[in-house]
Amino acid sequence: MENKLHVKDLTISFRTTNGKVQAVRGIDFDLAKGETLAIVGESGSGKSVTSKAILGILAGNSIIEGGEIIYDGKDLLKIPEDEFHKIRGDKIAMIFQDPMSSLNPIIKIGRQLTEAMILKGKSRQRESRENFNKYLKTLNKRMIEAIAKDDASKAAALTAKCKDFDKFEYKHLELENAYNVARSAASEAVSDIVDILFEIEKNALKDGNYRIKNVKNLALTSINPWVVSVKADALRASCAAMMAGIKDLKIVSEKLTKINAILEEALALEQPNFFAMGYYLTFSGEKEVPNKPVPELNAYLRQYLDEKFMLSFIADAKQALVYSAKVSCKEMEEAIAVLKQYRSVFQAEKLDKKACESAHKILSKKVIETIDLLDIKKDSLVYTFSSGFKTEIDKYFNGLVKNPKEAKRFAKQQADYDRRVAKGKEPDWKVVPASYTDLELVKRNMLNQIDRMVAHFEELIAANDNCDFDAKAVALIDFLKANASGVVNKVTKRIAKARAIKLMEEVGISEPRKRYNQYPFEFSGGMRQRIVIAIALAADPDILICDEPTTALDVTIQSQILELINRLKAERQLSIIFITHDLGVVANMADRIAVMYAGKIVEYGTSEDIFYHSAHPYTWALLSSMPDLDTNEKLDAIPGTPPDMLYPPVGDAFAQRNKYAMKIDFERQPPMFKITDTHYAATWLLHPDAPKVEPPKAILDRIARMEEKRGVQNDQ
Amino acid sequence: MTNNQETLLKVEHLCQYFGATKAVDDVSFEVKKGEVFGLVGESGCGKTTTGRSIIKLYDITSGSIFFKGIRISAGILSYQEDIRKAKAEYNEKIATVTDPTEKNLLSQELKQRIAARKADIKRARFDQKNCDKQYSKQMVAAVNAKYRALLSRATEAEKPALKKEYSNELRKARKAKLVTQIQMIFQDPVASLDPRMTVREIISEGLIIRGERDKKVIDQKVYEMLELVGLVREHASRYPHEFSGGQKQRIGVARAIIMQPELIIADEPVSALDVSIQAQVINLLNDLRHSLGLTILFIAHDLSVVKYFSDRIGVMYFGKLVELATSDELFKHPMHPYTKSLLSAIPLPDPIYEKTRQRIVYKPLAEHDYSVDKPSLREVAPGHFVQCNDAEFAKYKAQLEQA
Repeated sequence: MENKLHVKDLTISFRTTNGKVQAVRGIDFDLAKGETLAIVGESGSGKSVTSKAILGILAGNSIIEGGEIIYDGKDLLKIPEDEFHKIRGDKIAMIFQDPMSSLNPIIKIGRQLTEAMILKGKSRQRESRENFNKYLKTLNKRMIEAIAKDDASKAAALTAKCKDFDKFEYKHLELENAYNVARSAASEAVSDIVDILFEIEKNALKDGNYRIKNVKNLALTSINPWVVSVKADALRASCAAMMAGIKDLKIVSEKLTKINAILEEALALEQPNFFAMGYYLTFSGEKEVPNKPVPELNAYLRQYLDEKFMLSFIADAKQALVYSAKVSCKEMEEAIAVLKQYRSVFQAEKLDKKACESAHKILSKKVIETIDLLDIKKDSLVYTFSSGFKTEIDKYFNGLVKNPKEAKRFAKQQADYDRRVAKGKEPDWKVVPASYTDLELVKRNMLNQIDRMVAHFEELIAANDNCDFDAKAVALIDFLKANASGVVNKVTKRIAKARAIKLMEEVGISEPRKRYNQYPFEFSGGMRQRIVIAIALAADPDILICDEPTTALDVTIQSQILELINRLKAERQLSIIFITHDLGVVANMADRIAVMYAGKIVEYGTSEDIFYHSAHPYTWALLSSMPDLDTNEKLDAIPGTPPDMLYPPVGDAFAQRNKYAMKIDFERQPPMFKITDTHYAATWLLHPDAPKVEPPKAILDRIARMEEKRGVQNDQ
Repeated sequence: MTNNQETLLKVEHLCQYFGATKAVDDVSFEVKKGEVFGLVGESGCGKTTTGRSIIKLYDITSGSIFFKGIRISAGILSYQEDIRKAKAEYNEKIATVTDPTEKNLLSQELKQRIAARKADIKRARFDQKNCDKQYSKQMVAAVNAKYRALLSRATEAEKPALKKEYSNELRKARKAKLVTQIQMIFQDPVASLDPRMTVREIISEGLIIRGERDKKVIDQKVYEMLELVGLVREHASRYPHEFSGGQKQRIGVARAIIMQPELIIADEPVSALDVSIQAQVINLLNDLRHSLGLTILFIAHDLSVVKYFSDRIGVMYFGKLVELATSDELFKHPMHPYTKSLLSAIPLPDPIYEKTRQRIVYKPLAEHDYSVDKPSLREVAPGHFVQCNDAEFAKYKAQLEQA
């Protein structure tokens, strides 16, 4: 399965007045497409911190010590904030625990739902325009370099071709724009008509005259050769009749129904290929396209375009791409050499600031130069190399200055403390533990970055040899086309409203039209959570992070919300990270489960692994501390509280509360032992030399009971 | 353990309306001494309101609440409505009769009925206001009797100490309130503890209000309670923020039991806690219940916990009690469709079962036809009550016999 998210060795701390709290201590997991990963643990185990790191919304006092979160080839810990804007909420969305606090109490639900759609719509338009211009220009340049290096006439021909492309793209946009205006007017009108009919039926029509007039205007706007054309006269007639009888609501609703029927029929029509049509109308010399049904017309126009222009243009584009890739490969080879050459600078015992900074400058320049300007996929590893590397260098030299200061402060405070204790006093303050920058770790990070860059380049060079440039050329043209249509695709308020109402229906809110204009306090807890889910889904995200979405809800509502999330996951192929401490909920939702304790993943496996064959004492404790419907004996509560992460324990963090703890648990941290291909656990009990331990009786009993029950069910 | 025991709490036709919203509508149940009575239902079904009405945080709209046989709360709406109804009824009758003597008779009857209801209202108002006064009067009388007897027998040397004790006890008896024998544990341990008070102040506050002035006695009691709930003496001088969630909830429990209550209303005491801490608090309540002989009204929406903890369970839906039975009976033979739907929604730690679990949806309008035959709470089996009408009653009975 396709991997969507990959978290590797993530380490996060928080700076507090008492010292550094280690919230997450090196966790690894990945998330496949359409999969639900549940992260289970007590409060303070670092599960929410992990999810916040993925979304880039960690608190200001957080320090990301190391690791990476790879999404879509980007390391989310390194990319700049404005790039994160395109991911957060858009690609990765989040549902929080308390629906009331994630909604604005003084703004109507409708506006909160559409706000993001409208904002994102504008920024997408801008981005599309920039992309189109940039890539077409680069393509032209590369074409000339590849095909007509010393041939001015050929170069001129190529430039003309690109200009042609731009020209008929312009025509294409013009046609499409007109079509979009008409079509969105039609869809706006339909949505309005449904509203008005609804209100007439309920006898609560407000601003009737104004709104009916508005509908008429919209309906007339929708007359366009490709939207309402044949029935344009009927539409005009209906509108006129409606305006004549505007006083009588019966006539109005009758006519509105008629208009609605016409418009809905128009909206169901297929969209013609405006791209090909643009070419036909620009270069064929004809004023009109041939009179054919849309599918046939599309085929005809497509063929015309291919023969006259597209095939040769694609061939040229392919050559340009091959050339561009070659150039970039050469650059990469050079970059590899330079990287390898400068690696020694960072290997030294003590780094030299000047040498490091100049090396950074040279390396960044070299790495940036390797970018293939025609590649539509952005290789963010390359883009973020410079800033990421600079951060590490700064960290190193800051640490170099600060570490001795910190040591001095610590020694002074400790001496002060000791002196007071020696005098027999009992100080009411504690010594703040020293927090040093781990210089060796930073150095290793730098070398890692260089190595990774080299490995990445080598990979790319190897991949270049068996690259399908035909497909790439088509993809490039499609990309240009998509951006061109992106420019004309406008999200108006009305369109956003229609979309929001559809979403509200999708998440199971009845009477969405009425609900659209209500405030959050008018909704019950379950409905509010549905709204929050609808807002999260508005941007059609890839990954949904659910941070205890049902903890504040009761059983029936919880069940409904979980069903909803499961259904949406199946429909949209969502990947879900589900954070909770309720194991019953986890059994329902999760494909895989990661159990976290004190900032580490202690057990990791499929939900069957965890529920039927759990291996870590902490998982046992969690499972046996919750009652089910047949529990009668005393619950096995976990004694004590989680450890203070200001002073993380040396050995296994769970050792103090673990009745199975051995001596080694207090001395050394257990590694991840592999149990099966999907199942891992970090406990010394799995070591071959460890004594054999059975899970607690409560769990074994429960599993046996469940099996028995299931057996009965299957027999029936 | 529920049979042949005295009834500690009796709720009769309790109604609590907030304007037009009927938060609790005609709920009746009894809680026996020493049992745990669970109230479940979705949020907004009125279970918390029921708890709060019992402890007199609200003035109830209608119905009565008896605690240890004494009416502590009474509403008057039902009487007022009866008066209105009687007036309408009789006026109609009077209008149809022509005979003046009969007319007179009817109006006499009406007057009597109204007078009776008005007396009821007066009594209800009196009970609502004065139950604590009556109780403290009783207590004062008891203390007086006890110490007067003691004093008459005491020697001159003993007398000063005894007199002091007497005045102390008398002060406490004057301040005694019946309702303080009902205590509450709240859902959110963070929000229910004053951050500016030490644990000692929090736990002893009730005692002080009740008239205890002896510092030594207070300290002694606070330490006792702390140890009872699994904390240590040193914790008394700390502030709430220094404790974890589970410990905070333990402080809440200590604050409730220091008043030596007979009834504890636990309003979702574990919902806001982590799983591992949840188990600690449930175990604690379970231990206390046995060692102190507490009666607990346990309000929660986590059915697994309620099942584990309660002897009997009442299921509420939109302000009405729809089913009431012992917890085993309820989970074995749920009768009311809403109970069935509620039970089908419980998630269990069994992924294979969970993948096939079907939630039953409860649609009240589709399930019941109450247009003619109005439902009421009826006993379909000994100790098993269901909200149903005649037709459903027969159906449920048949179902139970089959099972």
